[in-house]
Amino acid sequence: MNSVMTINSEIREAIIEEGGIDVYKCYQCGKCMSACPWYMVENVVFPTYRIPQLVRLGAIMTSEEKEELEKEVTEIYRCVGCENCVKFCPRGVSLPDVIRAIRRILVDYGSYPQELKSLVTRIKSNGNPLGEPRSKRADWAKSLGVDKFTSDMEFVYFPCCMPAYDTRLKNIAESTVKILKHAGVSFGIIGEEETCCCEAIRRVGAEKVYEEAKKSNIEIFKKLGVRKILVTSPHCYTVFKNDYKNDYDGFEVYHTVEIFYKLIKEGRIKPKKSINKRVVYHDPCTLGRQNGIYDEPREVLKSIPNLELLEIENFSREFSLCCGGGSGGVFMDWPSGERIGDVRVKQAIDTGADILAVACPYCLMMFEASVKTMEEEIEVKDISELLAEAIE
Amino acid sequence: MKIFVLVEHRQGKVRDITYELLTVGRELAEKFNGEVTALLFGGVDEKIDRLKKNAHHIILVEDEKLKNFNAELYQKALVPILKDEKSYIMLIGHTAFGIDLAPALATELDVPISTDCVGIQIEDDNFITIRQMYGGKLNAKVSFCEPGRYIITARQAAFPAKDGNLDGKVISMPSPVGEIDYRKFIEYVEPPIEGVDITKADIIVAVGRGIKDKDNIPMVEELANALGGVLACSRPIVDAGWLPKERQVGSSGKTVKPKLYIAIGISGAFQHLVGMKGAETVIAINKDPNAPIFNEADYGIVDDLFKVVPVLKEKIQELKKG
Amino acid sequence: MDIIVCIKRVPETAEAEIKVDPNGKDIVKDTLNFDINEADNYALEEAVLLKEKFGGKITLISVGEEECEHILRMGLARGADDAIRITDEKFSELDGFATAQILYSVIKDIHFDIIFTGCIATDDGYSQVGPTLAELLGIPHATLVTSIEVKGGIARVHRELEAGLLEAVDIKLPALFAVQTGINKPRYASLIAIRRAASKELKVLSSKDIGLEEPRRKIKIESLFVPPVTKRAEIIEGSPPEAAAKLAEIIKEKGLL
Repeated sequence: MNSVMTINSEIREAIIEEGGIDVYKCYQCGKCMSACPWYMVENVVFPTYRIPQLVRLGAIMTSEEKEELEKEVTEIYRCVGCENCVKFCPRGVSLPDVIRAIRRILVDYGSYPQELKSLVTRIKSNGNPLGEPRSKRADWAKSLGVDKFTSDMEFVYFPCCMPAYDTRLKNIAESTVKILKHAGVSFGIIGEEETCCCEAIRRVGAEKVYEEAKKSNIEIFKKLGVRKILVTSPHCYTVFKNDYKNDYDGFEVYHTVEIFYKLIKEGRIKPKKSINKRVVYHDPCTLGRQNGIYDEPREVLKSIPNLELLEIENFSREFSLCCGGGSGGVFMDWPSGERIGDVRVKQAIDTGADILAVACPYCLMMFEASVKTMEEEIEVKDISELLAEAIE
Repeated sequence: MKIFVLVEHRQGKVRDITYELLTVGRELAEKFNGEVTALLFGGVDEKIDRLKKNAHHIILVEDEKLKNFNAELYQKALVPILKDEKSYIMLIGHTAFGIDLAPALATELDVPISTDCVGIQIEDDNFITIRQMYGGKLNAKVSFCEPGRYIITARQAAFPAKDGNLDGKVISMPSPVGEIDYRKFIEYVEPPIEGVDITKADIIVAVGRGIKDKDNIPMVEELANALGGVLACSRPIVDAGWLPKERQVGSSGKTVKPKLYIAIGISGAFQHLVGMKGAETVIAINKDPNAPIFNEADYGIVDDLFKVVPVLKEKIQELKKG
Repeated sequence: MDIIVCIKRVPETAEAEIKVDPNGKDIVKDTLNFDINEADNYALEEAVLLKEKFGGKITLISVGEEECEHILRMGLARGADDAIRITDEKFSELDGFATAQILYSVIKDIHFDIIFTGCIATDDGYSQVGPTLAELLGIPHATLVTSIEVKGGIARVHRELEAGLLEAVDIKLPALFAVQTGINKPRYASLIAIRRAASKELKVLSSKDIGLEEPRRKIKIESLFVPPVTKRAEIIEGSPPEAAAKLAEIIKEKGLL
């Protein structure tokens, strides 16, 4: 066996070109590994700190042996983009960016997990991750008396593909509409011309599809004269706020919890009905850690009569433990016993809560799936669903 | 215009596709004032009375070498029969047999071929075949660029079989084929049976892509158990390794003819439909109202299978108790 | 063992909405994702497995425009050694025979022991090119191959018949095999292999280079249309509990409980 290694600068340069420049900052302290949500999953070892080092040596994903290669690809696709490692890194290395750089090369060559390939195909051809027809994108709103957005309205409500098409998640969109109408907010929806925000598949490495979707969405927003957009998903929120805004001046992005909070403060909605339950709030990584929204969702929940708000000790706010659904995680098929969501659900159950409250469609899907396989009783609800119940 | 039909047989028995082809052949023969000749190579172990009812002539080439299908030998046997004919339609099944044989035969004879046809029609003197494309999402009208001689392979169960009342004359022909060393039939290989033979079940509950996760399959199996039936599936489930191949219903799996077939989360691609068309009562549960499975089903529920299946199981259990 | 693998670039249609082009003879392609034909991907993997066992060279061939160079590079990254693309403005509206003719014009001058193709393309579904090409080359062939073992110049293959039955056939090499999906597990491409493939020079041939002025087409698509809805199921309405209850009653009434 050869113990001398050749540094492959070509691979290193290729990864750095795709956005992996942070690798030079890493000094392999290993803090990222203990920050990573996979660290909390018993059977999984995900050596995050080795990645920048291997990239610098150009020694990442170089195996030419089939089984070994499969393990390497699987490992590169573990990262769910929660960015807890970024928060803990003493040098601010963005490991998700490095990993995304590697993924971009793999995606370009179709060398990535089939579940994610199918996901990218569905989004590219149908504009949504479920592969449903574009023409049905606004069907969820048909019987709710929601109008198409026109420029004289204040907000455009962008529900996220999942609530628009999924039978369980539709309730989030319906609850949101109920609250907005109750408060007399001026809003409309776009419907079939809008396309998935592609935040998840951007992290997966499908940069070209993301750019095309962004271009298409911004064109529609400009055409319709959209100034303020209201989103349900923190994932839509983060790309609209942090990337779309660069190409679209004057575009204001709000997450629904921000608006709900404002409406309650202004007295435009008054939660009157009791929810006599113990509710533990889970901070979605993309809403909390990545965009700093922690207080609004808590205030909204506290405004509901008789609702007892609980926290998950040590893993709250910016220390929130990821649901595992980001970066296409919702569509990945990790073996049971190897699911981050299960760990988080157990943490929630251990607080004694009746309800696990979330503010993200992916978190809701991941937690409901975990509750089902773990055969537990805790209910999972979106904040909009709880608030809608309370303003009956 | 002569109509030739290649008799497809296996392990001594004539396969159903043959009678479907003969029915189509007779309809074409009427349109073109021709006659149907069945080509039987190698011979079968059963009586050929039904073949005689369905063809005007039967050319019989008895030869041990042709008893089991061998594309190279069959091609060699067919060419002398067809090569001097100027006006004919050669019908072959689009089966494991026909897929192997027909395109090579067409090339040697220099005759145009349209494969996997689900329809044949005459339009303004134009001979048109109907084929499916893009996974069955679209149909195509396909015409031939050179007139006079045509080879068509027909999809299984796409054309109904109706027995005729002819009295086919049997003509024996000596075998034109010699020994070859470049293709030898060795044996049939039965699929391993891991304990369940779905072809014997009266009630089958089949699960498809819509189940999304291996962990969701037990929910469907519970429904099957409640009904006293067996669990089956479509090909993608087997490809993903979630159920063994013996549970697969479809053109490359098993053909089943149960009293009740419930398709859950199955869109109804033709490869699957072919395996269950013979079921007496078909029920489909799928959230896509345009899923092709609804064309094959007698009853359907257009809704989320995750909501319907558990509740259906309960109702079945209730009814069984009461 | 020298192997040629014929691959095709096709739109992914299993999960996409397919619409007919206004001209009625083609489909709208701009929203579709293109990739290597599924069965061809399995064919390539089978070739790589044989190369790992016996050594030799794998040559990829594809007929198409510049876009199909991408799938050729993807194939190179997975273990193929060379890639050839054949294209010409005169090659329009190819059918199975014409495609096989083009492939034949190139392959007849290349040494090979085995040619692999996929047994069906997910766009047109003709299942024709493999056996046609074999016939033009004068070599034996087998389609719907689900396993292949080579020993002493003979390939023992299993062919997928109906109802799960397989047949074992011995084919003398050189031969062509049209491979069925699921025959193996296609591998990923490593970054090293990807970098190598990205800079590899592809051979591009035109009709003049291969001595085939105009390939012969034998069938023609007159029109594409949405299949007519035949039998429609009686849809049971209601919420899941209501519909399930009605359905259970129907099953009971049919004496199936």
